[in-house]
Amino acid sequence: ILKQKLIINKDPSLLDNFLDEIIAFQTDKSIEVKKFVIGFIEEACKRDNELLVRLIANLNMLLKDESVNVVKKAILTLTQLYKVTLQWLVSSKTLSEMQEACWDLITQMKGEVLALLDSDNDGVRTHSIKFTESLIITLSPRTPDSDVPKRQEADISLDKVPKDHSYIHYGTLCEEGKSALEKLLKFMVHPAISSINLTTALGSLATIARQRPMFMSEVVQAYETLHANLPPTLAKSQVSSVRKNLKLHLVAVLKHPCSVEFQGQISTLLLDLGMPQTEITRNTPVPREPRKRPQPALMEDDEDKEEPAPLAAPKPAAVPAVQSALDLTAEFLHPLLTPENVANLVLISMVYLPDVMPASFQATYTPVESAGTDAQIKHLARMMATQMTAAGIGPGEHHKRAQERLYNSTAKDILIKRKVPAVILGQAISVVGGYSEKPSATEPPAAPKRLPEPILPSAPTKLMGASGRKKVFRLSDVVQPLSDTQNEKLTSSAVKRILHSEKAIAQSGMSHIRVKLLSRLVTQFEGMMKEDVLQFILEDIRSRSDLAFSLLYQEYNTYLSQLPSGLLDSYDQCLFTLLSGLQEKPEQRDGCTPVATSQPFLQHSVSHFLSFQSRVYLGMTTLKELIVKRPSRQFQYLHVLLDLSSNEKEKVRTTALAFLKRMYEKDQLRDYIEKFALNYLQLLVHPNPPSLLFGADKDTEVAAPWTEETVRQCLFLYLSLLPLNHRLVHELASVYTEAIADIKRSVLRAIEQPIRGMGMNSPELLLLVENCPKGAETLVTRCLHILTDKVPPSPELVERVRDLYHKRVPDVRFLIPVINGLEKNEVIQALPKLIKLNPIVVKEVFNRLLGTQHSKSYFYLIFA
Amino acid sequence: MPSHPLRVAVVCSSNQNRSMEAHSILSKRGFEVRSFGTGSHVKLPGPAPDKPNVYDFKTTYEQMYNDLVRKDKELYTQNGILHMLDRNKRIKSKPERFQLCKEKFDLVITCEERVYDQVLEDLNSREQETMQPVHVINVDIQDNHEEATLGAFLICELCQCIQHTDDMENEIDELLQEFEDKSNRPFLHTVCFY
Repeated sequence: ILKQKLIINKDPSLLDNFLDEIIAFQTDKSIEVKKFVIGFIEEACKRDNELLVRLIANLNMLLKDESVNVVKKAILTLTQLYKVTLQWLVSSKTLSEMQEACWDLITQMKGEVLALLDSDNDGVRTHSIKFTESLIITLSPRTPDSDVPKRQEADISLDKVPKDHSYIHYGTLCEEGKSALEKLLKFMVHPAISSINLTTALGSLATIARQRPMFMSEVVQAYETLHANLPPTLAKSQVSSVRKNLKLHLVAVLKHPCSVEFQGQISTLLLDLGMPQTEITRNTPVPREPRKRPQPALMEDDEDKEEPAPLAAPKPAAVPAVQSALDLTAEFLHPLLTPENVANLVLISMVYLPDVMPASFQATYTPVESAGTDAQIKHLARMMATQMTAAGIGPGEHHKRAQERLYNSTAKDILIKRKVPAVILGQAISVVGGYSEKPSATEPPAAPKRLPEPILPSAPTKLMGASGRKKVFRLSDVVQPLSDTQNEKLTSSAVKRILHSEKAIAQSGMSHIRVKLLSRLVTQFEGMMKEDVLQFILEDIRSRSDLAFSLLYQEYNTYLSQLPSGLLDSYDQCLFTLLSGLQEKPEQRDGCTPVATSQPFLQHSVSHFLSFQSRVYLGMTTLKELIVKRPSRQFQYLHVLLDLSSNEKEKVRTTALAFLKRMYEKDQLRDYIEKFALNYLQLLVHPNPPSLLFGADKDTEVAAPWTEETVRQCLFLYLSLLPLNHRLVHELASVYTEAIADIKRSVLRAIEQPIRGMGMNSPELLLLVENCPKGAETLVTRCLHILTDKVPPSPELVERVRDLYHKRVPDVRFLIPVINGLEKNEVIQALPKLIKLNPIVVKEVFNRLLGTQHSKSYFYLIFA
Repeated sequence: MPSHPLRVAVVCSSNQNRSMEAHSILSKRGFEVRSFGTGSHVKLPGPAPDKPNVYDFKTTYEQMYNDLVRKDKELYTQNGILHMLDRNKRIKSKPERFQLCKEKFDLVITCEERVYDQVLEDLNSREQETMQPVHVINVDIQDNHEEATLGAFLICELCQCIQHTDDMENEIDELLQEFEDKSNRPFLHTVCFY
């Protein structure tokens, strides 16, 4: 599909129509699609500059994409569009508001890409370097000697920006360009730079030098510095790759006509890198006599230098108008580098050499071909100066102080320097055997030095005492531990900042990273942070629930990772705080259920907590959800709920019962609930109420007598299930027969509601009446009474009672509840027995007889 | 893993032995691969070390094959040149010169340091346009049949590892270090831009 759209794009008239559709793809999941959209943006904007105003913001979003590949592509596009935008905007004298906003945004994006020089990702850094390169070139004026590639001839550069533009200031741009260059240079001397970044930066600098010769001195200086101080982190083959690149780019720079001033420095570097003199000469633009020839008589004193007069000639020109500190120092050192001094330096520094030749040295070692020539001495001086400048000493740095020191330490400095060049450059000086005057030259090869860095400590004072390692970067040397309180303060304010940047981050589409970050931070470090975060979540649980979940997840994760010894304490605590916080906020209560139900694990304590809160209904709802949605822990939660069904608080109890009744309808839960209910019921056969009922440990027997209260506790659940499952009634009967009198009384009182609920047509109840177990007669009678209290007995019931009376238990009292359902002759038969019962019962009998519709027909019986 | 297959170029001097061996293996493994030479001519061994057979890049493998058959069929069968040309012509019609190819790659693998230098020189002398990066890696391979086969497998393994990285540019450095240790040979590596 996308390819087709690309074709569409070829027809400009269709562009407008399809713009929105294509841009809509930028939220697509596929990286390829996103990259295509970026490419499309670039093409569209190049074709129709007006679109910049609309599309630049989209590009900005993509620039912050989570996929590095998208980001890289976006940087590439921005590299192009930056130029396009500038060109477009400067072409109109006045800018509309939209255009201004567009420029502001693109300037901001530029800043962001520059900041990506510090990105964690190597590739992103590489792209950022290239962006910087193009930025520097755009933001600096093109001069006649600029080496402009044909394709970029039409590109904008600073000289084409009018100085009186209403919105875009020439000066600002110029400054921005320079600061970008500074950034790039600074980036390049970073000790831990990767080889790819370094290579890229080298190439960029070469491009800059060729296209903007005004920066050539900075570039050459950067090359020199780098050459003397290759990052220690590079592996052997990387060192050779970098050196190869350096050579290549130096040649490229050398070929530029403006390199004349720097030919001396460049060719020395090239020689050091192992390029033959003839080739250097071939690449030097202005024909000159071969300037440096390896001179067998290695180091001559100053007088000797004059001898190769032509060599010295380029030098004056080479001094840039503004002398840098490095230049000053180098010039200062130059005359001091006498063979004697150098020899001493080498001898002294021999002590610091390692026993074994390091691989990196071996890899980069090339014999110094021009040892002893003036140019080489100058180069040596420059290298020492580089090191010294880096160490913050030397005349250039602090003129006076340095001079003082230098006088004292000249000898030492020199020693160091001599050694450094040899070692650092990897070019131990190869001396043709016979020159006894040059001990220095002979010795270095024998004792190869380790890496350039050690030499750096050109600070005279330090050199003496300390080992030559000063330059080696040790984190511990420069970093001091923070105090605990500082630490805490910093961490908590950092977390707070992350917390409160919610909106800004959400806009950039990175909120999931923020959430992850926060939850990791908080779970991994102790302290106040957790409370802060929890508080924060509670302020608006609806929109911050993802944070809450992430936090809980991390806590749980921590617990899992510490198994088997891990404790759930902090997870619990976290969940607990969240839930209780939630329940205090009426308007957010509904957030509670999802929080709890999505948890993998709820401790008993937590679930209890849920239910004991004042918001009983809510807690129970949650619990119910848990039971339904967490099959693996279903029974655990169910048990909690069951426990609650005998709670002494009525509200809790009734709610629990209501839920249980509903759950009882579910097959997989039914057995469990039923068993639980029956267990409780069985408790009634104990002579004393088990401690279970008091919530204490199950083992301890409490010798309290049964009370109405405790009996009821055992019955609540059972009785509420009874109307749902009539078969349970038989269990009651069997328990009843075994129970003590007190309990019987309580039971009789308690069963009214449920029995009535069952109704007299319940087959199970009828069965109970029919079978009436021994000892349960009172229970059955009571049931009969309850059933017939309000309504006349049904024929079935009467039938059963009659059976019972005649066949098994000839107790006339059974007949009372159903008396008005009996045949007349039966009543007459029973009446004499009934009248013998106590007067209250008799009265009841008559009431029943009279209260029915047959009352008239019975009326005379009373007299009979 | 990069979302698109790597675009790979394998480069040796004459686009006959080393680059073609790698081309053959890589394309069998599903890579989008092209092969090139960087030399000014295509050179094949002749009857004596100082008498190579020299062709230009326009000559097809088929023509070279026929030419050599005509010259000394037995010699060129024995030293495997005919067999090699036979394989080559099944892959593509004629050798290609790297400097003339304007296609953009993600990865260029060279087979000797001299070729690496030439590739770098060429890439750096091109005018930069898109700033799209290309990684150039040199794997030293001696120019004979056995080494070419071994080298091709190494290149293939390397490409597969690179293809399977999540973020090639971020991981390639480390990957190469590992390969250096494993294969016990140094790799030159750099990045250029189109």
